[in-house]
Amino acid sequence: MPRRRWHAASIALFVCAAARAQGDIASLADLSLEELANVPVTSVTRRPEPLKDAAASIYVITAEEIRRSGVRTLPEALRLAPNLTVARIDAGQYAITARGFNNAVGNKLLVLVDGRTLYTPVFSGVFWDQQDVVLEDVERIEVISGPGATLWGANAVNGVINVITKSSSDTLGTLAAGGIGNRDRLALARYGGRLSGDATYRIYGKYSDARENEKEDGTRAFDGRAFTQVGFRVDARSGPGRFTLQGDAYELRGQDRVLGTLNLGALDASGGNLLARYNHRLGEGSEVQLQAYVDHMARRDSVVLHPTVDTVDLEAQHALAFGRHRLVYGAGYRASHDDEEPAFFSVFVPPSDTLEWWNVFAQDEIALSEALTLTAGAKVERNDYTGEEFLPSVRLGWRVSPSHFLWTSLSRAVRSPSRFDRAVASPAFPVAAGPDFVSEVAKVYELGYRASVSRLSFSATAFLHEWDRLRSGTPPPLVLENKISGRMSGTEMWATLQASERLRITGGLTTLHDDLQLDPTSTDPFGTENVTLRNDPSRQWTLRASLDMSERQELQAALRHVSALPAPELDAYTALDLRYAWRPSKRVELSVVGENLLDPRHPEFATSAAPPVELRRSVFVAVRFSGF
Amino acid sequence: MARTPAPARSALGAIVALALLLALWSGAAPAQSPAPSSETDIKAAFLYKFGDFVQWPPEAFAGEDRFVVGVMGADEIAEALERLVGERRVKGYPIAVRRLRPGDSLRGVHVLFVGSGESGRLAEILAAADAQPILAVTDSEAGLRAGSMINFVVENQRVRFDIALPPAERARLKISSRLLAVARKVIAS
Repeated sequence: MPRRRWHAASIALFVCAAARAQGDIASLADLSLEELANVPVTSVTRRPEPLKDAAASIYVITAEEIRRSGVRTLPEALRLAPNLTVARIDAGQYAITARGFNNAVGNKLLVLVDGRTLYTPVFSGVFWDQQDVVLEDVERIEVISGPGATLWGANAVNGVINVITKSSSDTLGTLAAGGIGNRDRLALARYGGRLSGDATYRIYGKYSDARENEKEDGTRAFDGRAFTQVGFRVDARSGPGRFTLQGDAYELRGQDRVLGTLNLGALDASGGNLLARYNHRLGEGSEVQLQAYVDHMARRDSVVLHPTVDTVDLEAQHALAFGRHRLVYGAGYRASHDDEEPAFFSVFVPPSDTLEWWNVFAQDEIALSEALTLTAGAKVERNDYTGEEFLPSVRLGWRVSPSHFLWTSLSRAVRSPSRFDRAVASPAFPVAAGPDFVSEVAKVYELGYRASVSRLSFSATAFLHEWDRLRSGTPPPLVLENKISGRMSGTEMWATLQASERLRITGGLTTLHDDLQLDPTSTDPFGTENVTLRNDPSRQWTLRASLDMSERQELQAALRHVSALPAPELDAYTALDLRYAWRPSKRVELSVVGENLLDPRHPEFATSAAPPVELRRSVFVAVRFSGF
Repeated sequence: MARTPAPARSALGAIVALALLLALWSGAAPAQSPAPSSETDIKAAFLYKFGDFVQWPPEAFAGEDRFVVGVMGADEIAEALERLVGERRVKGYPIAVRRLRPGDSLRGVHVLFVGSGESGRLAEILAAADAQPILAVTDSEAGLRAGSMINFVVENQRVRFDIALPPAERARLKISSRLLAVARKVIAS
């Protein structure tokens, strides 16, 4: 494979829609006044929906869906995407993935909030208990299952979650919300104002806490937590330029964990970030974006991982349209310095290191004909452990008729080694990192179909990921190797029915089949049952109904089923959440949410042979005030 | 570890009953609803449509060879309009989309849309257009109070609008009854 050569052809998932938007809007202009007044809004957003027509498996969680669900934290909001598997491990920790390999230290998903990646170089995954946003300020969450490596780089192997918050010009005024339940509490306030005619800002603070749970055997889970986050965002416009500056700071406080007579201390964390982004329109369809951010985080956990990480990230890209082409290209640089304190399960050698990543990418969307669009692109990303990684993809979209869309794709994506893979040791177990550990590689084939007929919209995707060099181990002293390979295949389907003006029903189903093998030369005693590899349900489905009972009252019921987990074993579960909201006035909303209503308690995930943490039935009442 | 089955089964029955109840409650469905579109596109389409249902006094077109839509504080809507207009015409005139900033001259403008980006200076902007033959359209809660004639609202995931007749009359604009019928709310003189 020509790794070093720069392959200039490429796709743009996010420029995709522009070509077709023309058709969409022209058809709107031809509707009668009465018909136009009855067109449903895809999302309550002021920007065009960029991913709507892309040749990929995308679900967009809208602000409206988040509001109606009554969720209070970012990971819970992700349950709204039918193409994600979200398992709550305890009060604050989650295992979240798409298309398998779910794990407490899952490492094949890329998560971004306003262009800032939440990935930690420590284990190439996300510390979910340290991430939150003010959900009222979220414009939409784009969830792409399948590889997005060509645009987003290594780690976007099984999916990309892109959280996009509203511009501060759309959050003017005061918002205050609070709630209390038998399991958790929430208080938040946001104020947005104008700095000048062309500049707006908002500031916010959010506090949430959750009570301690019990494990399946009745012992304490020591997972009680309190999370505080504050932040701001400033947006300014000047002629063709748009500027955004935003930042957040947070603190997580856990409770002391006691093992017999041994106090292991609390799991605490703190961090913050500052991001600046500048967009400049050069002309019709041509725009440059420059972005830079710094991110600091310190996690104090004497049991699992105890890192302090500082990251700097710079990015530049240019999107332009000419003739039949929509091209986007760009480059990026990231440097990350980490200091690892010894924890019970992990010691890093060396304890501190600085890693650097460089990338260049280009992606072109070519309108082959009125109905056929070819998107081709590649990213070359350089990391300190394995050098250049080549991440190409080709996508073909066929607009069969105005309401039917077929697409297919071929891509190569990698999960490059993390500090964990190359530097971990353990004082508790004889474990050593793999000095020769290399990138895990997936070749991905996808076929999808989307339809939007009358009141029903539907999406179905079939995928096959051919994996090579997945992480395996050896008998003690454990050394990390790349000796698992095989296939993960499955389907993702969802549909939304606007049954009437007042009733909307959304259903989703995903299936997953794995066929992984240990290389015959491997001596891994656990093989493919290794708990740090994956623990995936073979099937999950969701069904959600939202009803406007009147102008002032709404009701939502959400049901989900997750089939049994194989290793460590866990029973299937079905959960029902209900929310009722009443708006006594324009500015005030009162709501009550019931979660996990079908049984008094159940676990959602098992990370080891130890008894899993059980999540209880919960009831939460909330009040929200918005005004000027 | 058997935990779920029995209670879950009876619970499933309850859910089916609940689903039925929801379906009944929601009542009769409208005949047909089109595919969803972005809020921006729908608003842009409305801005174009309004032209057909409003009558301007003759002097509004004196010496003009274009139907001019001025857009302030809403670049996305201006972009959507530019994509939409193409070869379309309003009252026989080709359409021109003009991006404006507060203080810019409103000469020759037929429809003025002030987006939420300028909602802070709404009253000031609308005062500049008052009593001229300009259809003032806004996109904020305070729109009609600030002197706008048509104000967009998103309700039940649909883009709707309210109409205030007094400022339209001052501007000598006649709004057709069909447009009034589609409005969510009409403030009469």
